[in-house]
Amino acid sequence: MDIIVCIKRVPETAEADLVIDASKKAIDTDGLVFSINEWDNYAVEAAIQLKESVGGTITVISVGPEENNEVLRRALAMGADEALRLTDPAFEGSDAYAMAKILAAAVKDIPHDLILTGVQADDDGFGAVGVALAQMLGLPYAALVTDIQLDGETLTVHRELEGGLEEVDTLKLPALLTIQTGINEPRYVSIMGIRRVARKEIGVKGAGDLGLSEEAVGAKGSLSRIEELFFPPVGEGAEIIEGTMDEKTEALVKILKERGGIA
Amino acid sequence: MEKIAVWVEHRQNEIRDITFEMLGKAHQLVGDGGQVIALFLGDPSQKGLLDKITPHAHRTVAYLDSNLKDFEPLRYQAAFADIFEKVDCQLILMGQTAFGMDFAPAVAARWEIPFTTDIVDVEVDGGLIAVRQMYSGKVSAKVSLKEADKMLCTVRAGAFPAEDLPTVSGEVQEITGAVEGDFSARAFVEYLEAAVGDVDITQADVIVSVGRGIKDADNIPVAQELADALGGVVACSRPVADKKWLPKERQVGTSGKTVKPKVYIALGISGAFQHQAGMKNAGTIIAVNKDPKAPIFGIAHYGIVDDLFKVVPALTEKVKELRGWGNSDK
Amino acid sequence: MEELQQPLPERLDLFTCIQCGKCTGGCPVSIKSPLNIRRVIRETVVREDLHGFFSRLEIWDCTTCSTCAIRCPRGLKPVDAIIGLREMMVEEGRIEKTIIDALDGAYKYGNPWGRAKNKRAEWAQDLDIQNALEMDPGQILYFVCCAASYDPRVQVVAKTLVTVLKAAGVSFGILGNKEVCCGSEIRRMGEVGLFEMLMEENMKNFGKIEPATIVTTSPHCMNALKNEYEGLGSEVLHYSQFVRRLMDEGKLAFETEVPMKVTYHDPCYLGKQNGVFDEPREILTSIPGIEFIEFGRCRENSLCCEGGGGRMWMEGTNQGKRLSEVRVEDALEMGVEAIITACPFCLLTLEDAVKTTGNEEKIKIIDLMELAVMGLGKTLETEG
Repeated sequence: MDIIVCIKRVPETAEADLVIDASKKAIDTDGLVFSINEWDNYAVEAAIQLKESVGGTITVISVGPEENNEVLRRALAMGADEALRLTDPAFEGSDAYAMAKILAAAVKDIPHDLILTGVQADDDGFGAVGVALAQMLGLPYAALVTDIQLDGETLTVHRELEGGLEEVDTLKLPALLTIQTGINEPRYVSIMGIRRVARKEIGVKGAGDLGLSEEAVGAKGSLSRIEELFFPPVGEGAEIIEGTMDEKTEALVKILKERGGIA
Repeated sequence: MEKIAVWVEHRQNEIRDITFEMLGKAHQLVGDGGQVIALFLGDPSQKGLLDKITPHAHRTVAYLDSNLKDFEPLRYQAAFADIFEKVDCQLILMGQTAFGMDFAPAVAARWEIPFTTDIVDVEVDGGLIAVRQMYSGKVSAKVSLKEADKMLCTVRAGAFPAEDLPTVSGEVQEITGAVEGDFSARAFVEYLEAAVGDVDITQADVIVSVGRGIKDADNIPVAQELADALGGVVACSRPVADKKWLPKERQVGTSGKTVKPKVYIALGISGAFQHQAGMKNAGTIIAVNKDPKAPIFGIAHYGIVDDLFKVVPALTEKVKELRGWGNSDK
Repeated sequence: MEELQQPLPERLDLFTCIQCGKCTGGCPVSIKSPLNIRRVIRETVVREDLHGFFSRLEIWDCTTCSTCAIRCPRGLKPVDAIIGLREMMVEEGRIEKTIIDALDGAYKYGNPWGRAKNKRAEWAQDLDIQNALEMDPGQILYFVCCAASYDPRVQVVAKTLVTVLKAAGVSFGILGNKEVCCGSEIRRMGEVGLFEMLMEENMKNFGKIEPATIVTTSPHCMNALKNEYEGLGSEVLHYSQFVRRLMDEGKLAFETEVPMKVTYHDPCYLGKQNGVFDEPREILTSIPGIEFIEFGRCRENSLCCEGGGGRMWMEGTNQGKRLSEVRVEDALEMGVEAIITACPFCLLTLEDAVKTTGNEEKIKIIDLMELAVMGLGKTLETEG
C-alpha cells in the first residue's frame, strides 16, 4: 500500500505571547518554536502503522521553505520512506483552496492508494485542505477519522461526531482521510533517530515542476484573503464573577453557551 | 445581503442546534426584506423535521430522496448538484461540524465557491467580512472572500444564539430527488455510541475537573451531574487520583493527561504548576474555589470565589433547565 | 552513539553480576513495585532479544536513586541497566505520552515542562541579578535550571538562594533565558541524544565565560554537571556546599533565632550519589534555635522521595503508599515541625505528601535556603 501524508510546519503558540506584525495580516514568528502540526503527526503515525501491517511505502509532502525539511526529516525518522518539499515564491499567500491545488498537482505524479492529512492545522485552523484536495483528485474521502481498518481494497473508518457519537463508513481505495488527534499514540522520535536520516535527500518541486501557473496559486489563486488580524479582548488573570448565587450561575451559563461548554 | 441559504443539519431524526444558530444569524444578516432559505436534504420519511424549520425560513427547499436518510458526502453532493442552480442565494452557511467539515470544502472546491471555515462572526458591509479565530483562539482574523455569485462559510457551533428566532410565514418547495449513480466509494454503515466507562478525557470538549476541594469520594457525583448536564466528562488533579476517588486515567497534569478542551471547569483545584501544565491550553478555563489566592485564578479566564458545593448544584440546575430536562431525569 | 550500539550487558559489564540480590534488597521501590532489579539484570544477560521489556511499565518505576549501585559488592551500577533499557525504548519511540511530552518540551523549549524560553528568567526580573554572559572569566555562575525557573514553589528557593548569596556579598550571574535544562532527568528517561544536545548548548555558554564555580539549585543538576558534562573545567557545587564554604570564609553567619524542631531529608543525588551529607546539616544546626533530630533512615540509608529518574513525569506502576508519605508520617511520629530538604524534587514530592495525608496544619516542608533566610533575619518570599 502506497501512502502519501501531507504535513505542515506550524509555530507553537500556546505558550507564546503573540505579536501581530506590521502588515497586520500575519503574526511575528521570530522567536517562536516550529514543529509538525499536531494532527499531521497522528496522520504520519497512522500511515506507519498501516505500512507495518501491510507493507508499502510512505511519502511525506510539505509545502514551504527549507525550514520545512525539519518536519519532513522527523517524519522520515519516524518511518516514512520518501520526502518531498513543494516551494515557490508564487505559493505565498495561498488559502486552503490554493493549498489543495498545489498538493493535488504534486500527488498526481506519485503512486498512491491512500492520502492522509491532519483534520486541521494548529495555526489557521481551516480544516479544509484535505477534503478540498480529495474533491480535486476525485477521490472518496472521510474527515475526522478516529479509526482505520483495512480489508483488501476497502477501508472501514470511524468518524468522530459531536456528543460522543461515532459514524462508521466504508471507503474504496484509493481514498483520502483526514486524521483526528487521538486515533493512535504517535511514537517518539529520538534525536539520534533524526540524526540518522540527516543526510537523506529531500525532493524539491516548484510551481513550474508541478505545471501550475502563477495565477493558479498563492494569493492570486486563492478564494479568500486575510484582511486583518486582531487580538480578541481578554483580561489578565481570571475575571471574577460577583453577585448573588443566582447571578453568578446565570453568568456562568452564558459563558458556557458562548464558549462551547454545553456540548 | 438579500438571500442567504442555510444547510439544515440533522442526525438520527433530530435537527442539530447549529441549524437554528445559523438561521438566527442569517435573519440578522438579511434584515427586513431579505430572504432566509433553508436547504433540507433528507429522506421523505424525515419530512416531519421540516415543521421545526419552516417557521424560521422565508423559503424551505426540501430535496427528498430515499438515499439521503443519513449524511453521506458523495450522495449529498449529487443532490446538491441537482438544486445548486435552482437556489438563488449569495451566501451558503453550513456548520463547522463533523458533517459540515466533511462536506463544505468539497462543495466549495467543486463549484469554486469562495469560502472560509469556522467563522465566529460575519459582517456584510459592501463585501463580506468573516471573523474567525487562528492560533487556537489567540488571534482573530478578518477574512474577505473573492467576489462571486455565491459564497460559503462554515459556522462554529455556539457562535450565534439559537433562541428568539424570528417567525415568518415561509413557503416550502419540495423536490423529489433523483440521486443516481454509484456512491459505494464512500458508504455510511452505522452510528456507534462511544463505549460507556471508557472515558478519554483528552478527547472531551468539556471537562469538569475536581481537586482536593471535593473533599470525599462520595462527592464526585456532584461534579458528574454537572458534567452530564454539559455533555462533558469528569477529570481530576493528582491528589484525587492518588486517593483513588477517580481512576488514574482521569488525572490532568504533568504526570497525568494533557487536555485541551473547549471549556475546563476547575472545581476546588488550587492549581499547582504541575496541574496547570496539563490544562493551561484549554479554550476557556473557569475556576470555582473558596480561596481567592488559589493559583488557579492566575490562569483561569473566569472565576467564582465561593463554595463549590453551593455553586455546582445551582449551576447544574440552570443547565438542565436550559436543556429542558427540568427536574426530571434525562 | 557508538556506545549505545554495544549490547547492554557488555557495556555495563553485567556478566560479572553474581545475582546476590543486595541491589533488590535495598531498592526503595521494590517493596511495592514489580520492579526487581536483580532479575532485570539477569534477564538482560540471558535474553537474546530485549524487546520483551518494552511493554513492562515497571522499568519506569525506578527513581534512579542509585542505592543499588552503592550496595553492589561487585561495584556494578544496576541502575544503568534500567536507564539502558529506557534508552532502547526511546529509540523505538515506544514510550508513554507524559515522557514524550517532557522530552519534546526539553527539545523545543529547553525545559521538560515545555514552558516558554523567554519566561525562563521571569522569576529573577526584579532581583537585579547580573547577566552571566557579560561577566569576566573566573566568576561564579548560578545555574538555576528548570524547576527553579518555572515552578512557582521552587522559584521561592531560587529567590532565597539569591538573598543568601547577596547577604554574603557574593558576586554572581545567571544565564537567564540562554540557560537550558541540565539534561539530568532527560538522560535518565533514556534520551541520550537530547541530553548531549542540551549539554552542548550549556557548554557553549560555559565556554564563553569560563566560570570558576558553578552553583546549582538542584542536586540533580550538580550531579550532571559535575559527573556527566565532559570537559567542563569549572568547579561544580550544590548550593549547600557553596553556602557552607561561605560560612567558613566568615561571609555568612546566622544570628536570628529560629525556634523550630526539624529533621533533614537527604536528597539521593546529593547524599547517596555525591556524598554530601554534612554540609546541609552543618548549615541548619548553625542556625540558633534549631533543634535537629535525624530520621531513622538517614544519610546512606535515606529513603528516596520518588521524585527522580523521570518520576516527575511518569508515576510508574506502583500503587502502594508513596515513599514521600512514609517520610512525612515518620517525621510526624518524631514530633518535628518541619522537614528540611535541599532538592526541588524532594521539596515538591514531600509537600504533596503533606497534602495528601492531610497534615498541612501539622508539618511543613522547608527548603534549606528558606531556613537560611530565616536565620539571616530576612523575610521569606511566599509567592506562589
